[in-house]
Parts: sequence; C-alpha cells; structure tokens
Amino acid sequence: MLNFYEVFYRFLEGPHISEMDYDLDFDQKLRDTVTKYGIKYDPQNPIPQDDQMADNVFAAGLEFYEKIGTYCIDTLRVATFTKREILEALAEAPSEPVFGTDKDAKKLIARPPESDLPPWFFIGAAGAAVTDERVLAAIVEGYGQVPYGNSITTPSITKINGRPIIAKTPLEVLGSIRTVEVSKAALRKAGRAGMPIMNAISTATSDAAKIAGSQFGLNPADGIMVGSMSELKMDFQRLNEVAYALHCGSNIVAESGPLLGGYCGGPEGLAVANVAYHLQSILVQRGTVHFTFPIHFKFSSNTSRNTLWSTSISNQGISRNSKFPLLTSGILASGPGTEMSFYENAARTITTCVSGGGILALGLAKNVQTDHLTPWDPKFSVEIALSTLGMKRQDANEIVKELLSKYESKIPEAPIGKRFQELFDMETLEPGNEYRELYYKMKDEMKTYGLKFAT
Amino acid sequence: MSEAKIIENLKEAIIELDEVKVVEAAKNLIDQGIDPLVAIEKGLSAGMTAIGDKFNIGECFLPELIRAGNTFNAGIKVLEPEIAKSGAKQSQTGVFVLGTVTGDVHKIGKEILAMLLKTRGFVVHDLGEDVSLSTFVSKAEELNADIIGMSALLTTTMPAQKEVIEFLKEKGIRDNFRVMIGGGPVNQKWADEIGADGYAETAEEAVRLAMKLMDTK
Ligand code: B12
Repeated sequence: MLNFYEVFYRFLEGPHISEMDYDLDFDQKLRDTVTKYGIKYDPQNPIPQDDQMADNVFAAGLEFYEKIGTYCIDTLRVATFTKREILEALAEAPSEPVFGTDKDAKKLIARPPESDLPPWFFIGAAGAAVTDERVLAAIVEGYGQVPYGNSITTPSITKINGRPIIAKTPLEVLGSIRTVEVSKAALRKAGRAGMPIMNAISTATSDAAKIAGSQFGLNPADGIMVGSMSELKMDFQRLNEVAYALHCGSNIVAESGPLLGGYCGGPEGLAVANVAYHLQSILVQRGTVHFTFPIHFKFSSNTSRNTLWSTSISNQGISRNSKFPLLTSGILASGPGTEMSFYENAARTITTCVSGGGILALGLAKNVQTDHLTPWDPKFSVEIALSTLGMKRQDANEIVKELLSKYESKIPEAPIGKRFQELFDMETLEPGNEYRELYYKMKDEMKTYGLKFAT
Repeated sequence: MSEAKIIENLKEAIIELDEVKVVEAAKNLIDQGIDPLVAIEKGLSAGMTAIGDKFNIGECFLPELIRAGNTFNAGIKVLEPEIAKSGAKQSQTGVFVLGTVTGDVHKIGKEILAMLLKTRGFVVHDLGEDVSLSTFVSKAEELNADIIGMSALLTTTMPAQKEVIEFLKEKGIRDNFRVMIGGGPVNQKWADEIGADGYAETAEEAVRLAMKLMDTK
C-alpha cells in the first residue's frame, strides 16, 4: 500500500482546483457513475436483496473514488489514486485488528450480510453533549455495563468548573483531558478496565486538544478517531492527527458522515459515496477500521426509509467485497424514553445488522440535545441485534417495513424525549419505573414481529 | 422572439441549470432592448424561486442550488453593464453575511441556507467556516449587511455566537444589523438568552424569518 508520506505529498503536489469546482465535480462524477452502474433506489424495500446491485454499488464506489480523489482544503489540491493503488490498499488493509487490552481485548473482523456472528458493538452516542464530568462518569460506567459491549465512544462534556467549555481555548484542551481521565476511571469501575475507547475525544475540536487528551490514559489499543470532512475532504489538522496516531502505533478509527441531500444527492449517490469513503479511510485516514454514519440532511438522523436503503445496499456492497472492517452508526430523530425511539432503534439496528458490519449504538434526539442519552438504548440495540443473527434480508425487510409504518411520518416532528437525569438514577444507574416499563413493553412488542430473545 | 418568450427562456435556463442558454437569452434580451430589471425579476429571479421550491419539496438537492446560483450569476454578468448604463438599481431582498463560527468547520447546513437565501433574492456573502469574531464584524460593516447569520453545530462553539453579539453591542453598532443564529444544538431559548433577533431550526424556516426581519428594518 502507498505509504502515508506518499499520500501526503500528493496533497502538496496534486492539481489545484477551487473548492466549489471540486464539489460540483464530485456531484457530476457521482451522478454519472450512479447512472453508468444502473443503481436505483427502491422505496418498497428498505433492505434490498439483490447481490448483483450490492456488488455494483461497490464497483461504482471504487470507480468514483479513482476519478474524484480526496480534496485538501488547506492546499486546494486533489490527491488522486490509480485503480491499482486503490486495489492494493484494499488487499493490504487491516483485516483483524485488535482493540482493547487484557481481558477486554478483541479482534474486530469484517462481517458479511446475513451473518450469524454477533456484530461488533460500539457503545455510545457518538459525541453527543453532556453537561459535565458527573454525567459523563455515570453514562460511561453505564456503557461499560451494557452486555456484549466491545468498545465505547465517550460523550462530550460541555462544562468544566461549572462554566461552558469554549472551542479552540485552553478550556477545550482541559476538557478533552478530563474526558479521557474520567472515562477510563468509569470503565474501571464498571469492571471493564481494558474496554477500548474508540472515539475522537469528542470535546476536542482541534488536533491539539485531541492529542493532549490522548496523553492521559489512552493507549494504542484504544483508537484515535480521525474524521473526513464533507465530502471526501481532509485538512492539515486531520492529517496531523493521522501522523500522530501512526507514530504511536495507535489504532485509527476512520470516520465519515456522508450526507443525503448534500453533495451526494439522493440515496443512490449516498450509497456509492459511502463506498468511496471506505477506500479513502484505508488510504488517506490510514484507518484500522472504517466508521461511517450516513445521515439525512433534513432530519439529522438516519432512520428514514431512504437512508436505511442507502445504508443497507452500501453495507452489503462493502461487506461482500472488503475485509477491512466496517462500523455503522445509528442516529435517531427521537429522544430517550419515547416509544418512537424504540421503533427507530429496532429498524436501524436490524437494517445494519443483516446488511453486514458492526454497529455503533446509539445517537438519540439527533445527537444535538444535551444529556439526551442513556445506557439502556444501546442495550436495546444489542438485544435486537442478537435476535437478528443469521436472519435473511427478505425477512428483515418485512419487519423493518412494519416498524417504519410506526414512526416514518413522525420523523419531521420527532419528540426529543427526556434527559438521562430525568429517566435514570444517577447513583445506581438503574432506570426509573417510567423508562423500565416502556423498555419491557417495547421488547414484548418486538416479539410480535417475530424477533426472538434469549430472555 | 417576443419579450415574454425571452423572459421565459431566462427562467427555464435557471431551472435547467443551463449557463449557455442563460447567456444566450440575456444577450438576446439586450439586442431587443428589453428592460433588464424586468427580465431579472420575471426571468432569473423567478427561476431561482422555482429551484428553491423544488429543493424544499425534495425534488432536488444542494448541487442543483449551487448550479442554479452559478447560472443566475452568468446571466447577471451579461445584464450588469446594461443596468449600469440605465442608472437604475437592481432590487434585492437584503444583504446577508453568513458564516460558521470560530472553532467550527461544519459547512453543509450553512451552505444550504446560503443557497436558499439566494433563491429568494438575498445577496449572500458566505464567509466560510471557522470564521473569527473580527471577520464577522468587519465584513458586516464593510459590506453594509442587513443581516448577520451565524451557524454553530457544536455546543462548545455556541458561545462564539454570543461573543459576536456582545462585541457588536460594545462597538455601539448592534442596531445596524439583524442577527440570526442556527445549527443543530442551537435553540430559541439560547437565541433569547444572547439577544439574537432570530433563530430557525431549518434553512427553509430561516429564509422566511430573514424576509420577516427585513420588513422590520
Ligand atoms: C457531517 C458532520 C461532521 C463533519 C462536518 C463536515 C463538514 N465540513 O460540514 C465532520 C466529520 C468534519 C464533523 C466533525 C466534528 N463533529 Co460533527 N457532525 C456532522 C453531522 C453528522 C451532520 C452535520 C450536517 O451537515 N447536518 C446536515 C445539515 C443540513 O444540517 P445543519 O448543519 O444542522 O443545518 C441546518 C439547520 O441547522 C439550519 N442552519 C444551519 N446553520 C444555520 C445558520 C443560521 C443563521 C440559521 C438561522 C439556520 C442554520 O439550516 C440547515 C439546513 O436546514 C452532525 C450530526 C447532526 N445531528 O447534525 C455532527 C455533529 C454536529 N458533530 C459533532 C461533533 C462532536 C463533531 C466533532 C467535535 C467530533 C470530533 N471530536 O472530531 C468534530 C468537530 C470539528 C469542528 N472543529 O467543527 C456533534 C456535536 C455535538 C454537540 N452538541 O456539540 C454532532 C451533533 C454529532 C455527534 N454527536 O457526533 N462533523
């Protein structure tokens, strides 16, 4: 595989192009590729079952990435890669990386569609905001207790010493450090000392804060998350993070968040772009795993029918053609403690699980409301996921259609639910009656759709 | 070709995102001595409104908005010398200075807003992402902005919105501008708390609000 220096030199020496021209080029080439490969959205089937189309989506993504490359917003240059270079990277990409230490160490392996192996469970609300260290500690301890959890992502604290953390200031550096210190202690308390923290230290918006935070308890078997900018763009700040992580031998969680309705256009473009991100995450972000969260531009969540379809076909294409592991996140429109959140959670979890790869569970209330997260929402995702092992896409499709009918029309006005502190006891980490009853009621309802649980 | 037909062509060119057609129609229009201001209003701007409507109902996406904007600009470029000659002033809804606040690089939501504002006749100056306090204020003054719009997608960058408003106040120029804020974690309560003139959850609502704020100027 091309080494990182060579990739970086391309950002210094590739052809100049204005950002808008790159964006429009992205749009045009993506459209052309979608047309060429005959990829067509099918609203009737949120989980498509056509292997040929899945492979076409993968082939289209490969061709598209070869044509478009990655843009660097600091140099205004494009780094492109030949088909041979991309295929070599794909062949040599990490396939069985180990995350975590001691008894919590585990191999993360790619998982094909309809697999009967449990997916990797990446627990947490992907950088959602919490008030302060107290809430952070409780939530992370709760995450550590989620059965079958393999790794976590920490929320972002937004206050330190009772005052708001402001991005790009020393408060952010300190907040980032405290996030790691508090989270590691909380995992130890949960009996999961070696459980890997696989996120970006989400309080950190800058490379400096992220690197500072990683000095206080993260080790290479955790993972430094390096995001791509939208769409298929990098800057020096993110490349600095890659350079740093490579030098410490750290796992890298290469993140992408392609947007339906933005430059990717509709669901077909989103699916193909997601494949391009998979390839970029090997070559440019130098990932140990690819973590992606396709998202709907109006709903800031990914449980709508078209985002489900897009995630499904894209995950199928990737999982059938790549051994570089993939994790996909769910972000719900509705918040904790609402009926709707259980329907959305189930639909999203089933879709990603039968389509291949591992799951991140779970963002709620679009991930934008402070303290709107609980450890039991990911616990529900885990239960649902385990009930789908070996399930056929066709059967999953029928269940997801039924679930969609319960929430689809409510997405634009989704209820934000309640805060963790309102639903759970912060000391015992147990849910109050309101939440507990709803949880078991919804679990019982899931049985009526044919899902089978161990208990 | 009739005046109505040429104006219709201008409108169509925008909807079809066809820069060649728009330039042709604009030249045609000048040759025939048609009032360029009428052509802009009934042709180019009407086309932009139609594209904005298509976006709002999900029939097209961000790239179409950008291409429509470029087509509009190509048409205007042909017409501008004519307008200058006649000494008339092109009507505009307002001048909008927009950016994502310091520390924050989220771009696409702000870009959608910029494009939708253009479809409703605003002159938009998109300052980009990670925009500093001083840039917001100096650009707003320099460009004689009617509205300053600030996007923040991170809870930790929301304080930057407050900072800009406080700075405007301290400089004694707060009342020269209407200030709008938005982005995922932002809400009406925060807008009230920091004394912004408006908040909107979506770009669509933001455009309606911006037009309303223009009426209060
Ligand atoms: C894509 C994305 C990214 C991309 C951004 C790419 C880019 N160049 O735009 C990347 C990967 C770079 C990124 C990075 C980060 N992100 Co981010 N990101 C997102 C995501 C998934 C989507 C944002 C988006 O484009 N939405 C779609 C657009 C259309 O919606 P929108 O931006 O909200 O805009 C609409 C309205 O808000 C409104 N609007 C927007 N601006 C304005 C302005 C005005 C004046 C008005 C009136 C209205 C208005 O109109 C728009 C259209 O309707 C959100 C999730 C979410 N739920 O939003 C997280 C999210 C915003 N990110 C988050 C985080 C934590 C981060 C990081 C800190 C992670 C990290 N540690 O690296 C970094 C920060 C980088 C930085 N310095 O800014 C959190 C924020 C949590 C919080 N409450 O603080 C979110 C909510 C998700 C999450 N939990 O991970 N991110």
